[in-house]
Amino acid sequence: MGALAVLVLVIVVCLLAPVYAGSVAHVDPFPSNLQGTTIVHGRVTPVLQSNHQGLGLGVTPIGPTWDIHHYFLGADNQGRDVFARLLYGGRTSLLIGSTSALLCCVLAALLGLMAGYFGGPIDWVLSRLFDIVWAFPIYLLAISLSVVLLTSGLQIGFIHIGAGSLLLPIIIIAIVYVPYVARPLRGLVLSLREREFIQAAIGVGASDWRILRREILPNALPSVIVFFPLMVALDMLTESALSFLSIGVQPPSASWGTIINDGLGLLYTRPMVAIAPGLMIVITAVSLNLLGDGVRDALDPKAKLRGSI
Amino acid sequence: MFPRSRSASRKLALASLATMSLGGFSLAQASSASPAVAKASGGYQSQHAGGTLHLVAQTAGGTLDPQVNYTLQYWQLYQATYDGLVSFQKSGGAASFDVVPDLATAMPKVTDGGKTYTFTLRKGVKFSNGKTVTVADVVASFQRLFKVSNPNAGSWYNVIVGGNACLKTPATCTLKGGVVADAAKNTVTFHLTSPDAEFLDQLAVPFGSIVPAGTPGKDQGTTPVPGTGAYYFKSYDPNHALVMARNPFFKQWSLAAQPQGYPNEIEMTFGLPVESEVTAVENGQADWLFDPPPPDRLTELSTKYASQVHVNPLTAFFYLAMNTNLKPFNNVLVRQAVNWAVNRQSAVNLYGGSVLAQPACTVLPAGFPGHVNFCDYTKGGGSTWKAPDLAKAKALVKQSGLAGTPVAIVTQNDTVNESIGQYVQTVLNQIGFKATLKPLSANIQFTYIQNTKNHVQISLTQWYQDYPAASDFLKVLLSCSSFHPGSDNSINIAGFCDKSIDAQMNTAETLELTNVKKANALWGTIDKEMMAKAPLAPLFNPKLVDFVSKRVGHYEFSRQFYMLVDQLWVK
Amino acid sequence: MLSFVARRVLAAVLVLFAISVLVFLIFFATPGVDPAARIAGRSATPQILAQVRHEFGLDRPLPIRYALLMEHLFIKRDLTSYVNIGDKVVPQIMNAAPVTLSLVIGAAVIWLVAGIAGGVVAARFRGRLIDPIIMLAGISAISVPAYWLGEVVNLITESRLHSSVFSWVPAAGYVPISQGVGQWALHLLFPWLTLAALYAGIYARVLRAELVTALGEDYVRTARAKGLSERRILIRHALRCSLISIVSLFGLDFGSLVGGAALLTEVVFGLPGVGQLTYTSLQDLDLPVIMGCVMYAAFFVVLANTIVDVAYAWLDPRVRRA
Repeated sequence: MGALAVLVLVIVVCLLAPVYAGSVAHVDPFPSNLQGTTIVHGRVTPVLQSNHQGLGLGVTPIGPTWDIHHYFLGADNQGRDVFARLLYGGRTSLLIGSTSALLCCVLAALLGLMAGYFGGPIDWVLSRLFDIVWAFPIYLLAISLSVVLLTSGLQIGFIHIGAGSLLLPIIIIAIVYVPYVARPLRGLVLSLREREFIQAAIGVGASDWRILRREILPNALPSVIVFFPLMVALDMLTESALSFLSIGVQPPSASWGTIINDGLGLLYTRPMVAIAPGLMIVITAVSLNLLGDGVRDALDPKAKLRGSI
Repeated sequence: MFPRSRSASRKLALASLATMSLGGFSLAQASSASPAVAKASGGYQSQHAGGTLHLVAQTAGGTLDPQVNYTLQYWQLYQATYDGLVSFQKSGGAASFDVVPDLATAMPKVTDGGKTYTFTLRKGVKFSNGKTVTVADVVASFQRLFKVSNPNAGSWYNVIVGGNACLKTPATCTLKGGVVADAAKNTVTFHLTSPDAEFLDQLAVPFGSIVPAGTPGKDQGTTPVPGTGAYYFKSYDPNHALVMARNPFFKQWSLAAQPQGYPNEIEMTFGLPVESEVTAVENGQADWLFDPPPPDRLTELSTKYASQVHVNPLTAFFYLAMNTNLKPFNNVLVRQAVNWAVNRQSAVNLYGGSVLAQPACTVLPAGFPGHVNFCDYTKGGGSTWKAPDLAKAKALVKQSGLAGTPVAIVTQNDTVNESIGQYVQTVLNQIGFKATLKPLSANIQFTYIQNTKNHVQISLTQWYQDYPAASDFLKVLLSCSSFHPGSDNSINIAGFCDKSIDAQMNTAETLELTNVKKANALWGTIDKEMMAKAPLAPLFNPKLVDFVSKRVGHYEFSRQFYMLVDQLWVK
Repeated sequence: MLSFVARRVLAAVLVLFAISVLVFLIFFATPGVDPAARIAGRSATPQILAQVRHEFGLDRPLPIRYALLMEHLFIKRDLTSYVNIGDKVVPQIMNAAPVTLSLVIGAAVIWLVAGIAGGVVAARFRGRLIDPIIMLAGISAISVPAYWLGEVVNLITESRLHSSVFSWVPAAGYVPISQGVGQWALHLLFPWLTLAALYAGIYARVLRAELVTALGEDYVRTARAKGLSERRILIRHALRCSLISIVSLFGLDFGSLVGGAALLTEVVFGLPGVGQLTYTSLQDLDLPVIMGCVMYAAFFVVLANTIVDVAYAWLDPRVRRA
């Protein structure tokens, strides 16, 4: 329950990002603000400060002021309010995490069910596809696709993904984890198929489609639902790893991953820029994982007996 | 010259550098003063000889073949390992731009109206494999330039008679009648198809190195090629280290061209992240890092390690190349608007602050031959940049009728370039465009922005000199002859081609042969005309930060090839 | 059984082939990757460019280039890099592999010890305070982005607290075991801990769940009825059964890590392993090295998969029919 509360709190706060940026901090967290100023202890201060000591090399953004109205967590190297970007970034990260998890679960359910139910050549082909995706280096796929998409966009049939679209990280992440969900589902369906009620349905001549929809899906669905929160957490972590490789959400938009990436360039002077979004990822992922445990216990009473937190 | 490292990776900021002429700021002077002191106190100081110099670099610089490699990373090391007939003087200060005789006994005799150069070869110089350098080696080296497809074979060295035939069939290249050896007189004579004011510069860069005649006519890659310098390459593993040791056959013949070095061994190891490189030098585990220190370490370096930091201006510039053949930048008003709008100081700050770069208004960097101080696009006028004029920029865009056009800016994705790109994106939005940013890996970006097939509208890039001649900026970057539509190698990124300016550039080059002063004045005028047409927006001239370990002494900075690695003391 | 193994191996080879073709095609679908201009160097004229293209066989049809690439990689084993000309790919991977192995083996020891201990303790004291604490720690370890953890660890040990608590931490980088086990371990300590955290969390959770299930099984009840101590039951009976799933999990994880899945950890800590090599080659878009690394990585992943599958088939004959 506590996990759910934390998660809801994170989501609500992130959804309020425009309110915070517009009415509390009065900043626009997207355009560069290199010559901007703010107020620290009642004094007007530039957000980017040149070093005047020693040889005078280096320009450093201001650090956390801990003043909710003025650069609460300081500025990044473009002079933008890190806290406001953190909230906006949360929206993107949660969006990417949940959409790609949803897409992944839907694809995996579809393919896993088909592989398990039909067996034979269909199963063989799908299983090999899972093997390929599983053994394929995600980074290579991501880097190549991102170059393609960044530069020209992608046209596959009627689907058009524009250059720099959010769909890019969503689709890449979703596809990469399909085997992760589909394989156990396939195993589940394999064992379901042996059960009497399915054999009975086949016996009375029910269509494959009907059996899949009416008999197998309802039995497999709880497993998919248990996977969902875990996948959201995993996908958020993956998104941040891809951002580390400069792939994914394109500037000036932000996600927690890209803010960490911006912050790594400031790690030695302004560590908060990288640490804050990292902590947000940890908090969100922990509550999602706990939530996943909770869902599992709720759907599988036997598991509850095992005790959980 | 290509940016510092061609395999610049994610966090690799480009060369961190700033401007001279900051009144009272003494770093540049200090570093240029040191060699004079050292020389005055009696030449080679053998008490400082010995030890191993540990250099670190994030990645290796590619092939080690001096006639192929075109990276500053190895050009800097080639200074101590290879010699041409002539070379740039190995010293600090302005003299480092002077071409001096190296394997030749004296500067060549130029006859036939600048079309014939006769060199007399120094006797008794030996390669690191023990063989004596002969005139045959010189001829073979120039044939080899074509056999290994040297990047500039078709733009520099084809001026040699027979060069064009060699370009067509490199395997059978003889340069017959172009490079003529006379073993009896120990001379080598070059015949050119036309006079070339920059020919000696082109012989003085590492491509002009003399290598043994038996060296295969194929890129030698990781196999070291013997040279004549004070050091030779002992081993090279691009994933681990490059090791240089003293050339046992070296005997100093010219202090100016190839001085004896100090360390017994020089080792460059690869693979550490740049943050760890800085830490390693701070802790004395390494002596120098090739990569520019990341911006967030600069404050720390300049306060806690001030005595180990050297800052020197570079003849280079960061600029926005605007594609003059694509909307909206095919309109001169828009190109001027960008020049008015970009705050050079903001770009300088993103690079590391005022000490590290100087706002630029011209194509030719300050202190470069032909450079004239003027600034067409600054609020309040004057000859130096003061402030942007957004109102004027907006008005120009409005006047062009192109407001609202979608614009994509292509940058490299390292910290510095991407952050400047983000800033430019903001500016383009401010003056009325719909701007997006496309950060690409440094390796792709440089060729990507050149190819017209990719329809790049505006890009952020850099240019570092090859040798000190105005044509190396103006003609290379903005003449019709360096524009190759549809090719990955079309260094005229703006696609700018103006027949009358081209004619003037040719006049200036011819003039250089007879009257350098007049030629330079003409180059200055061309720079001005160019900026009026604004095919690019200069941002700033960078400076280079060298951070050395505590034990290192005798730092000298050549403006041509940067820190003289082999002159450092580790004892 | 034998035919199952044969089919499984055949499928593995097919998967490897498909991956190599995919990598090759993706590479050439990426704009701006033509290595000719980068090999030739800046300002090369179109003529020089064409020569370089011919020299490196870049002007030949794609299927032939694929075949040549594979021939040089697997048969002649003399494939060379496009970036560091003359640098052979196979020795590069061979030199990087020991670094990755050092990282992965050390981390594996740590995560197995921590994960098994955590799982056993949590199961033994389930329902008491220590159980949720261990499980929360496990979940947190799973929820931390590994590269972020690495960067923060670096920041603390190399900079913030380097002058006080962590002055004994050496500069980042790798020291071969041949130069002394002590230095080798010291340089790898924090990479080990960072990499192990995630897996320790996973293993502790999986093991606890398995143990709790096992403790509810009939044979455990029988043992209890016989009056065996709870500790003895847990270690001798329940743990033994539960370890099967841990072992198969370990097989898969170890395979993918040896193949280079520890890429981010290697990059953050500057360890010149296979992951770092992959990362650099991707940054450079150096096709021969990318291909070498991908095939190497995929080999271990597919191998681990196959071994685990075959082992399951051996244990459970029903699987063989699938």
